[in-house]
Amino acid sequence: MESILVVDDEQNIRFLYKEELEDDGYKVSVAATGEEALQQLEKSIPDLIILDIKMPGMDGIEVMRKIKDKKGDIPIILCSAYGRYKQDFRAWASDAYVVKSADLKELKLTIKEIFNRRKAG
Amino acid sequence: MTESSIGLEILQEVTRIANSTLDLDETLEKIIQVIKNKMHVDACAIYLINESDGLLHLKASMGLPEDAERINLEIGQGVTGWVAKQGTSLALSEAMQDPRFVYFPEIEEEKFNSMLSVPILADCPPLGVINVHSIEKRMFRLEETKVLETIAGQVTGCLRNAIQFHQNQMMLKETQILYDISLAVQSTLKLEHGLWVILSAITMGEAGGFNRAMLFTLNDKTQQLQGIMGMGPDSQEDAVRIWAELDKKKGSLLQWVIKETQRDLYRDSKFNNFVCGLSYPLNPDDNILSETVLQKKPFNISRAKEHPLVNKEFIDALGVDSFATVPLIAHEEVLGVILVDNRYDNKTITEENLRFLARFTVYASWVIENSRLFSKLLDTNRELLSMKEQLVQAERLSALGEMAAEVAHEIKNPLVSIGGFARRLKDKMSHLAKNQEDNDDLKSAANYSEIISNEVDRLERLLKNTLIYSKSGALETEECQINKLIEESIYLFKAGFYEKNINLVTHLAENLPLLELDQQKIKQVLINLLYNSLESLSLGGMLKIQTYQEEYAQKQKMITVQVEDTGGGIAQEVFENIFNPFFTTKHSGTGLGLSICRKIIENHGGNIRVENQIGKGVTVYLHLPLQMGPDYYKN
Repeated sequence: MESILVVDDEQNIRFLYKEELEDDGYKVSVAATGEEALQQLEKSIPDLIILDIKMPGMDGIEVMRKIKDKKGDIPIILCSAYGRYKQDFRAWASDAYVVKSADLKELKLTIKEIFNRRKAG
Repeated sequence: MTESSIGLEILQEVTRIANSTLDLDETLEKIIQVIKNKMHVDACAIYLINESDGLLHLKASMGLPEDAERINLEIGQGVTGWVAKQGTSLALSEAMQDPRFVYFPEIEEEKFNSMLSVPILADCPPLGVINVHSIEKRMFRLEETKVLETIAGQVTGCLRNAIQFHQNQMMLKETQILYDISLAVQSTLKLEHGLWVILSAITMGEAGGFNRAMLFTLNDKTQQLQGIMGMGPDSQEDAVRIWAELDKKKGSLLQWVIKETQRDLYRDSKFNNFVCGLSYPLNPDDNILSETVLQKKPFNISRAKEHPLVNKEFIDALGVDSFATVPLIAHEEVLGVILVDNRYDNKTITEENLRFLARFTVYASWVIENSRLFSKLLDTNRELLSMKEQLVQAERLSALGEMAAEVAHEIKNPLVSIGGFARRLKDKMSHLAKNQEDNDDLKSAANYSEIISNEVDRLERLLKNTLIYSKSGALETEECQINKLIEESIYLFKAGFYEKNINLVTHLAENLPLLELDQQKIKQVLINLLYNSLESLSLGGMLKIQTYQEEYAQKQKMITVQVEDTGGGIAQEVFENIFNPFFTTKHSGTGLGLSICRKIIENHGGNIRVENQIGKGVTVYLHLPLQMGPDYYKN
């Protein structure tokens, strides 16, 4: 079973993602801040990380840089309420970028694609 | 009394007269009186060579009819002309019998039998001739000739003094006029007014004294000499009227010359309109105006019809046969030509006139050059202002957009939760309703949750459309060199830096790769940054601008522009808000404007970073990526 770490400062969003992704058969863990996520990564490494960009304290882009520095090749999907960060080249280091929506179709599709790529590669 | 003592007496008296402080005319009259009385002759006359026409003019006489004053002799003409030409004295007991004699009825020469004629020598040609006439036939003795020659020597001295005095007077007058004009010219930066002052001076009796003046400027692009101003009367009657008025306008030239009210008068004049309609190509051997420009020297044309470079059309248009042209030169570059003529009084244009005119044209050149420089300065200022305004405008719009984005973002997260859970609810309800087909309540509940989910979809679409604003500042990019934009922006601040004693240091890396940039927008950013530095460096200091290429996270190639000042930094509470558009716009648009800079740089895929060292200064880093993002980042 593939494991996914959801990092988002919004409690309800964490809850929504967890419910939906668990329904799809993934093992889901959550973190409310970048710091918390980095701590969790010390203990266990998920197969994929979904990372919100705009968070109090360390923002998603900074968290991503730290993860990429330490853990290298964990795939990361950056998630944001709007597309502004798409233009920031620092965000281009991620494996995908998804604009948040109540309809999780796009997110789920992206997750599948990444896992398929992994399996193929 | 002996002959020699008479001669001595005459000489004594003449010397006394010559050394008195009388003006030249009076001196000559007195000398003639002495000669006539003491030499016992019936008439005496002094002819002087006129500088402008080169003829011998009767300057003073005694014992001749009044009409004699009209006589102008050519050098070599008649006995007087012969003496002038040869520079030697001539005594004739029967003058009318001499083959050199030419009869002038005005002098009633038939009355006189004998004459003695001596040249007034200085250099060759002589300055003039002194004649004495005797009714009684007599042979002038050698002693008498000697006495008259000595008197002529005294007259030479007088003339030299007079010429010297005249020249001094002229120089004094010239200096005064030039001083007045330079004051008048310095007091204006308006091209038209400055030129108007110059042309007025040229055409005023006091200064240049020309009847009309025309100004042509050289258009670099079209290579045409274009008439831009004409000053002078429209007709003979007009001329008389204007000159009468001029006479009343005594007092300093400056006093009336700088009155702008009279400008409309000239503007509407036929002559000005005529000049403004003239245009000649700048070609060698084509026309006299071109030649003046190309040869950079003045021309004094006295017989235009015979001049190879003056065509008939030009003469007909001017309506004169004599005129002069002078080039306008500033910094060794010819700016145009001034043409003058004396259409209404037909006065000959002398070399002295021309020399004087040449001095005036120096001022005209200054006026043109000054106003050119000034308008360049104005353009630069205008460009800066409009940039600043665009920035303020963009900043306000951006502030609005930023607010919308902020609000949208805050709404988006709860909306994702609401919508997401509504979908889950709907799915679960539908699932339950399928199993209990008779339960209408469950069906309704499923329907309700679908309504919620649909409405959330609608809101999300609305937000998405609202957020499209952030792409509204569409970029018009082209490949360009960032250093060039930096240099252009710095140029606009040159004066400001100099004025505030700011030491500008630039280290722009050579051979930087080209960037895909919206030049106008990037320039706005640079100008804004320079402006901020300039404000913080009000007491002077250093501004350092650098460009270099580097890599972000060993992966992303980028060019960095670093702007560093020693302006003391920004207070902490201000610094925390520098990217807050609401904060900056509170200062009626004169704030830091960094929010819009960030927007522009972000739209280029770059980012902006500000380091603040309180008490020292601020360093701004603009990072602009050299590679574009991966495909999945393009929308």
